[in-house]
Amino acid sequence: MSAVLEVSNLRKSFGGITAVNDVSFEVREGEILGIIGPNGSGKSTLFNCVLGQLLPNAGEVRVDGKPTTGMRPCDLNRLGVSRTFQLLQVFPQLSVRDNLILAGQEHRGSMLSRLFGRSDAGLGDAAERMISFFQLSHLAGEQAGALSYGQQKLLDAAMAFMAGPRLVLLDEPAGGVNLTMLAHLRDRLRAYHVERNATFVVIEHQMEFVMALCTRVLVLAEGRVIAEGAPQEIRRNPAVIDAYLGH
Amino acid sequence: MNRFGAIALGAAAIVAIVAPFFLRRYGIYLISMWAVLTIAAIGLNLTLGYAGQVSLAQGAFVGIGAYTVALLTQAGWPYPVAFVCAGALCFAIGWLLGYPALRVQHHYLAFVTLAFTTLVFLVLRNEEWLTNGIYGINGIDRPVLFGWSTGSALDFYFFCLGMLAFLSATTWWMLRSPWGRAFLALRENPIRALSLGLDTRRYTLMAFAIGSSLGGMAGALYAPLVQFIEPNSFALGLSFNLLLMVIVGGSGFFFGPFVGALVAVLLPEWTRFTEGYYLLIYAALVMVMMAFCPSGLLGLVGRVSKAMTRRAPSPPLLRVEGTDP
Repeated sequence: MSAVLEVSNLRKSFGGITAVNDVSFEVREGEILGIIGPNGSGKSTLFNCVLGQLLPNAGEVRVDGKPTTGMRPCDLNRLGVSRTFQLLQVFPQLSVRDNLILAGQEHRGSMLSRLFGRSDAGLGDAAERMISFFQLSHLAGEQAGALSYGQQKLLDAAMAFMAGPRLVLLDEPAGGVNLTMLAHLRDRLRAYHVERNATFVVIEHQMEFVMALCTRVLVLAEGRVIAEGAPQEIRRNPAVIDAYLGH
Repeated sequence: MNRFGAIALGAAAIVAIVAPFFLRRYGIYLISMWAVLTIAAIGLNLTLGYAGQVSLAQGAFVGIGAYTVALLTQAGWPYPVAFVCAGALCFAIGWLLGYPALRVQHHYLAFVTLAFTTLVFLVLRNEEWLTNGIYGINGIDRPVLFGWSTGSALDFYFFCLGMLAFLSATTWWMLRSPWGRAFLALRENPIRALSLGLDTRRYTLMAFAIGSSLGGMAGALYAPLVQFIEPNSFALGLSFNLLLMVIVGGSGFFFGPFVGALVAVLLPEWTRFTEGYYLLIYAALVMVMMAFCPSGLLGLVGRVSKAMTRRAPSPPLLRVEGTDP
């Protein structure tokens, strides 16, 4: 299987602190890679470097073999790399439907053709399908800001899938979500994975969520990769236990 | 648009067409000024209300547009060409002014645009070879358009009203397109917008350019309306006044500028009977309104009608604000 995402020797430091230190890994097509690690181990910084929100000090990121280091997030997104955020990032005053159309419209035609195109950018049906896939149909016309936290998390994930991405990076999708909603979210992510053979990278604290969803897990501690393998192996790995429980 | 909105809009259109026949010369001048300032305020509402970019430069663009038209028509250019030039020039300058907005936001951006307004004022005042400095430009003719002379106050009012109808319909159409959604995304959450493939840089510049261009076109109508322009008319005061119109009417509501400009033009006249105190009363009313209704008059209408209907089913599609109560 080919690698969708390759990260090689990535390093990012802030002043004297090296948040990500020489990290290399790859994500193969159709897998769900989990990235775990204690607080401050560099997970989010790693994500932001991969996604163009931060410029790494060294190393390279490739998507489908194409170097993307330092590319702007909007250009990277149009290459098919999509993300969700750790803290909620929806457009509160737009309706659920408009949030989803917005998530796909910039992938259609040129800026000028969108001005003269249809109001829904031809995405009305696709948005409707995504809304029913995530079981938000009863809320389609509501302002996103009026939804509960868990529902907004679902919407956030749905937005990441709207443009039919090649690779989705999910930053703590389970954070702050109650158990019922969490099971629902996991179920929807897995269904999407099976249906489209989609490729995910998931950062998560919630161990059960990671162990149940991911096909492979990468463990970060103090900016370095300390272990990598199937979920069951990771659970028993002494280095991982040590990193989580302290010295 | 719901029924209430449609009726209100239709009634307002009829009033706008019939009113001048019941007014004297000064009254017609005032409502012409309302139409012109509304166009400028629509531009600012686009930049500020929809795309969320604070600007204190709209008055400067009205000035640039007014001087462009005055100088070009006096050099013998036909008015329609001068009008298009004013819009195009302000589009280009607005695009350039958008660059600071890519780096700074909110009140910092307000300061940058405020400095720009001062700069334009100084150029208008000091570059006498071009602008005739503090003496201003006199005797600006009202245009003859395809055989229709707009020389009389009434004719010129209908010309302004027609331009207002045309430009606001164009803006409405643009806001209904995916661009409108993109502008709102810029205001609501630029970081998320960027991660969804939205080229926030281009949309920010575009919001500034189009908004400024509308300011320039308002200026292109302002010059032949007042027939005499001088730098002081386009100093900071006008920019603040336009900002006030947008906010009083309801920032981010499509019809906010129409209401805001009406208040800004008429309220000082209605309170004129108090003689020396009328500006004071005007200022106090604005302060009271801002304290109790920061979302503007249309925001107030929305709150009241929502309280009265209590959970009507929410309208589908993109809300071009101001259409729903």
